[in-house]
Amino acid sequence: MKKLRLYYEEQNRGPLRLLWRNFMRQHSSVWALIAVTILSLLALLAPLLTPHDPYLQNANLLLVQPSWQEGGMVRYPLGTDDLGRDLLSRLMLGASYTFGLAVFAVLGALLLGLFFGAISGMSKGFKSSIFNHLLDLALTIPSLLMAIIIVAVLGPGILNTIWAIMLAVLPLFVHGVRNAIQHQLQQDYVTAYRLDGASDWQLFYSVILPNILEDIVLLCTMALSTAMLDIAALGFLGLGAQAPTAEWGAMIADALDSLYLSPWTVALPGLLLFAAVLSVNLVGDGLRKAMKKRRES
Amino acid sequence: MSNLLQVHHISKTFYKQQGLFKKRAILALQDLSFSLAAGQTLAIVGETGSGKSTLAKILVGMEQADGGHIWLANVKLDQENRAQYRQHIRYIFQEAARSMPPNQRVSDMLHNVLRYATVLDHEQRQEKILTTLKLLGLLPDHANYYPHMFSGGQLQRVALARALILDPKVLILDEALTAIDPSLRAQIVNVLLDLQQKTQLSYILITNQLRLVRHIADHTLVLHQGVCVDYAPTPELFSAPSHDYTKRLINSLVL
Amino acid sequence: MQILDIRNLTLELETPDGFIRAVDRVNLSLREGEVRGLVGESGSGKSLIAKAIMGVLHQRWHIAADRFHWCGEDLLRLAPSRQREIISRDIAMIYQEPSRSMDPTAPVGEQLREAIPSHLLDGSWWQRGYFRRKRAAALLHKVGIRDQASVMNSYPYQLSEGVCQKIMIAMAIAKDPKLLIADEPTTALESTTQVQLYRLLASFNQLRGMSILLISHELESLARNTDTLSVLYCGQLVEAGETANLLKNPRHPYTDALIKSVPEFQPELSFKQQLYALPGSIPTLQHLPIGCRLGPRCPNARKECVKTPGFERQQNHYFSCHFPLHGKPRNE
Repeated sequence: MKKLRLYYEEQNRGPLRLLWRNFMRQHSSVWALIAVTILSLLALLAPLLTPHDPYLQNANLLLVQPSWQEGGMVRYPLGTDDLGRDLLSRLMLGASYTFGLAVFAVLGALLLGLFFGAISGMSKGFKSSIFNHLLDLALTIPSLLMAIIIVAVLGPGILNTIWAIMLAVLPLFVHGVRNAIQHQLQQDYVTAYRLDGASDWQLFYSVILPNILEDIVLLCTMALSTAMLDIAALGFLGLGAQAPTAEWGAMIADALDSLYLSPWTVALPGLLLFAAVLSVNLVGDGLRKAMKKRRES
Repeated sequence: MSNLLQVHHISKTFYKQQGLFKKRAILALQDLSFSLAAGQTLAIVGETGSGKSTLAKILVGMEQADGGHIWLANVKLDQENRAQYRQHIRYIFQEAARSMPPNQRVSDMLHNVLRYATVLDHEQRQEKILTTLKLLGLLPDHANYYPHMFSGGQLQRVALARALILDPKVLILDEALTAIDPSLRAQIVNVLLDLQQKTQLSYILITNQLRLVRHIADHTLVLHQGVCVDYAPTPELFSAPSHDYTKRLINSLVL
Repeated sequence: MQILDIRNLTLELETPDGFIRAVDRVNLSLREGEVRGLVGESGSGKSLIAKAIMGVLHQRWHIAADRFHWCGEDLLRLAPSRQREIISRDIAMIYQEPSRSMDPTAPVGEQLREAIPSHLLDGSWWQRGYFRRKRAAALLHKVGIRDQASVMNSYPYQLSEGVCQKIMIAMAIAKDPKLLIADEPTTALESTTQVQLYRLLASFNQLRGMSILLISHELESLARNTDTLSVLYCGQLVEAGETANLLKNPRHPYTDALIKSVPEFQPELSFKQQLYALPGSIPTLQHLPIGCRLGPRCPNARKECVKTPGFERQQNHYFSCHFPLHGKPRNE
């Protein structure tokens, strides 16, 4: 039933609220945002929320089936893996590794990328090009290969893979931030501010930064999905998270031997990974569409 | 009546890359001189490529002239040091909507303008903002609006408020009245005429709309490919144009 | 003979918040050989009407009309393919920014040759190419472009707006249309080029008997170049009639305001005197007033104006106002 509107006020809100309203009108984005929120909460609070200890092995309950199948138990809703550890708890803890650490990597890359991108964007000519392409060296090596190299140098472990992923995602931020800033510098309001006497730093802080925030969030969503897949891939290869860490990629690799016996041990982490990446991409998509709609109205 | 603004022999050349090693010189402005008194309007007319926008940018400080001087109130302006005359010569953009940052409230924007150019404290700035808005027929509530909440006419007034808040002596309107509807244009022209009468503000109007020029400009300068071909008080220019190009322009008015 | 006869055209847009009536019961008619002006500011729906006639409106728009006749045939009742056939044969349109209306990746000559329909070329099929090129050169000559060879080989971005607009006109008349719709053709042009363009259109009107629908928001350019004029405000037709009559004797307050906003039409206005301007601003599509849409801004508005006024007719001069201005003879 349509809401009764006595006085039609459409444009009476700030640009952020307009963006939010456009975003909320797309159903896929709303669900994706809910999923991302749940993942973030899991990533933060997993140790408190897991029903069982994710690392506790139980020799009597190896490969118990999920609760909806015949041999399953309600106590272990998603079954157990080949060492008797509760799958649900491990998946929840996995969120904090795959998702949480991906967020860390992206934030680190964002800060560095913002620094280099800002210097490159606010300057002109040679200096701008140098800072822009300084970190392009990282583009010459595929991210997985770079992770392997770093692991070969520093040794395996999930923390070392964070460095690799940060490096892989950094050029994306530098270029993105620089392009956004250059686009802003061409606008009339920047000229107006310069005419008013703003220095470069004042210009950056008051005008440019608020206007590129939305572009930066878009870049973050793109980088986040890449980072999550990279962490999972490295865990799968055994280069990242080492056993018994409950990281989704590592869980898939461990359970691969018993694929025919207990397919759920492989399928469930995979499904969750798929859902996480899809949600992040949908949020990014929704944001882009909302920005476009706001610009057009 | 002494002249407020005097421009002597301004010239500007742009260099465009031609091929790998050669650079082609484009003469944007050649030996241009004119003057403007307080409370008067000068219209600069010319087709695209005649150098009108370059002239506007030089006057306001966005570009630097290669030769010649500008005198404001008998003080020679040093082109390197824009801060000197930033307050006195202000600029109105062609499209008001594009000249304001979309996610800043009007009050924040005006506070910033005052903060960069003056040493007033917060209360004094607030008072100045409200006075200026009132001068242009806007309400104090409008200070809390974002730019997209205004209608076209109100937005132009906000742009005028931003220009006038520093109490300038000269206002440059670069094709600011071109892209708007006739009824809106009439409103803005009325506001400008009113301001000129009250505060003796001088305008430099860069436009191609000769009917408007005939109505509100005291003097007219015709530019053709960077050279001033005609410079005279408006009624004289329209009744007896001296240069061929001006004659053609005026004839296009009649037809 | 009437070629275009539109009665009560209504264009509605479906939005999540209901239907928005962008064009409200507009009547438009054109005779053969007539030059009609359609004047209105932004938001008046004039470009929408032009697009509706051409049949290129987006699917979201609902078109409803009591009569939408072209040369006697009702366009709304025909199948879309037949509609397109008729429109492409008889109606042509030129746009506001000519250099952006042409394909930037193809040279102008190629686009011009493409615009010439095959059935207008004589000769057998192997001679078509030659005749096509000859006809393209003839068209360029007709619109007044001298150095045809170099223009034919240039890309749109290399040519000035005036030349581009002339090429657009050449492409439009290539198919010998009965009606040419010009949607703000001179806004992007220099004033000297504007004169040339209007002269060109007038010559086509007189020599070929082609009707022209000139759409603009500037009254002064339409005042001299049209036979009849229709004034639109916010999607409603407020006044229509012969141009000279309308300018001397406007009956609707909006027409009066438009005329008064041009200093030239008022010789008694002194230098730097305030112009007459309607207060307020044009309402947005979401906030359209009910009844007569000029109501909130009209100096004559009274209680009755919340009901849309019907049309009154006085000797080919139509106006829609509850309280029209009484005939005040005005000197031009």
